[in-house]
Amino acid sequence: MNKLLLGFFFGVLFSFNSFSTTINKSLYIVADSLLTVDSTKVPYITFNETPTYTQSNPIINLMQGDTLDLWVYNTDSVSHDFVIKGISSVISVSANDSTFLQTVFTTKGSYIYHDPSDFPKNTYLGLAGMIVVKNHPFACFYWNIKEHNSDWNTQLFAGSTVNWNNYNPNYFTINSVSNPNINGDTLARITGQVGDTLFLYITNTGLSIHSMHFHGYHATIKYSSRNASHLNREKDTFPIYPMETIVLKIVPDKEGEYPIHDHNLVAVTGNNMYPNGMFSTILIHP
Amino acid sequence: MMRNILLLTGTFFILISANSQQLTNTFIFSKMDIAPQHTLWDGNQTMLMGFTPLMSSPIDIPGPTLRYTEGDSVQLQLRNMSQGASHTIHLHGLDVNQWNDGVPHLSWEVGHNETKSYFFKAPHPGTYLYHCHFTSSLHVQAGMYGLLIVDAQNPNETWDGGYSFHKDFAWMTSELDTVWHTDSIINYPHDTTTMVRLLPDYNPQYFLVNGRSEHELVDTNTAAIVAKANETILLRIANIGYYGNKFHFPMHLNARIISSDGRPLPSMVFSDTLDVLPGERYQVLLQGTSEFIDSISVKYFNLNTQNIENTQMVPVTISGFISSVNENETSVNSYIFPNPTNKHLSLVNVRGEMKISDSFGKIIFEKTITANQENLDVSHLSSGIYFIKTINKNFKFLKL
Repeated sequence: MNKLLLGFFFGVLFSFNSFSTTINKSLYIVADSLLTVDSTKVPYITFNETPTYTQSNPIINLMQGDTLDLWVYNTDSVSHDFVIKGISSVISVSANDSTFLQTVFTTKGSYIYHDPSDFPKNTYLGLAGMIVVKNHPFACFYWNIKEHNSDWNTQLFAGSTVNWNNYNPNYFTINSVSNPNINGDTLARITGQVGDTLFLYITNTGLSIHSMHFHGYHATIKYSSRNASHLNREKDTFPIYPMETIVLKIVPDKEGEYPIHDHNLVAVTGNNMYPNGMFSTILIHP
Repeated sequence: MMRNILLLTGTFFILISANSQQLTNTFIFSKMDIAPQHTLWDGNQTMLMGFTPLMSSPIDIPGPTLRYTEGDSVQLQLRNMSQGASHTIHLHGLDVNQWNDGVPHLSWEVGHNETKSYFFKAPHPGTYLYHCHFTSSLHVQAGMYGLLIVDAQNPNETWDGGYSFHKDFAWMTSELDTVWHTDSIINYPHDTTTMVRLLPDYNPQYFLVNGRSEHELVDTNTAAIVAKANETILLRIANIGYYGNKFHFPMHLNARIISSDGRPLPSMVFSDTLDVLPGERYQVLLQGTSEFIDSISVKYFNLNTQNIENTQMVPVTISGFISSVNENETSVNSYIFPNPTNKHLSLVNVRGEMKISDSFGKIIFEKTITANQENLDVSHLSSGIYFIKTINKNFKFLKL
């Protein structure tokens, strides 16, 4: 009886929530540095919700049908571009200027907003975040995955060029942090109970291909920006290509703590040290 | 020392058998070479750390293929004789519980000279892999990996109600960087106080299919596909390397991708190319409609640069045809008896080439059968499960 009542109230809440609304957001382009797991400071630039720098790009959460009113402020000394990949057109933001973008999100999924100018340079240097569009009430977790070559960041910020064909990263981050801090990020660390429905939204804003393996559970691909034919595949290992986004649905059938890790070496042996990068776990309670 | 090793060899043998609790028992060893002794395609030798079916077996890559049937309850015993580091077995993709998942800091590890058991069920037919998860990046590169195959209850079907096939081939791809295979890198003492290790850059010189490459793939029978036209081949692919693989199938093989990671795809995909990334597994149906000789190419691409750094060619020979009369005879009427058996085994209406292999896939007997009934003496076989492969139907029997 209680469950029925809860279900009714939840259904009502959810249906109200499913009415489209207008979400107002601001993104400030701010250059600073990425503080790595070994306390190295790497030149970096990100979008921020306020003019104050944080090293993780914000995750913008929307419901399907919502309208996003977005202001982009460029506090950098050079001009940047802005685009929501596959959704909007490229717009330019001059140094110390701003621009406005209004977008209606009719399709659920996971999208990348980024600076496409001089691609992949500015995206690689940090200007890439995630927009999530959903139509369900279930628990959600978010991974903006990325690797970094610290020397390259220094060179690119100094105006030098690099040979993108020789990319050999030495740091790996999820939402701009590495092991062991990934498990401390409540947006990233997947937790739940047996029988829960859990969604994981992943964007790859780096330059490498990653191959994420889940211990303990298979998950179902509910969205793939690169391969529509992969929809509803049930797998335990998920390749994700640069600038690809995927959405996974996990319904844990047993309790336990299980690793999720990347079979790309850089994500576990950053700076030639094992383990360094990603060794996060999914924690499922009875 | 040698006497001790011989004694151990006699004591710890591979045992796969069904006991009174219907438990399928597998015993494997973890070992390490004390000097370079694994010969690569160009004659160079390297040292390995790996799994072996016998204490006396040399380490090979991949390790022994573990093969079970859907629904089996399995006890997998590991005896660590590698003289140094601890090891585990991670059953990649089998979704076992935390205690049996083989991740040291979330369950347990097997120290030197210890024997411990993993217990799990094999619920979904498909292609899986296993590997050591102790300092996993290093131990996997050192050679501690192998295939794990779960057959459907009907061994000629991919899964219950799935696709039927005549024969299957299993490929495990990987790479090898000899710099990692040196004493100073892989031969380190066990240290319980730290799991952090410094590793060299990874720049593999050898690109492998079933542990072999270049002319070895042509000269040996490790991966080559030989079949008759109209025979349906199930190709199992698992990538345990750190590079991506791009497979290209000859057009005449009519490749159909049917499953991945131990689960059927929502819909079959017709494609002559397939990318298999590290940790992924795929199953592909192949069927030639005419005789031809060609190769399946496997391109190895760097995950960071996406550059293709190597290509291996695995030969495919499609020769001869299945007679529809014989096909009907064998598929409808063939059977074996008695099963289980302790002495004799009869094969009825099984004609043509027949091979018996043990649970590690090692062929122990083969014969071309022409009579309606063939009676075999199997009394000399060790207790355990054996597989019989014929042109059109496969069987499994238990030797008591």
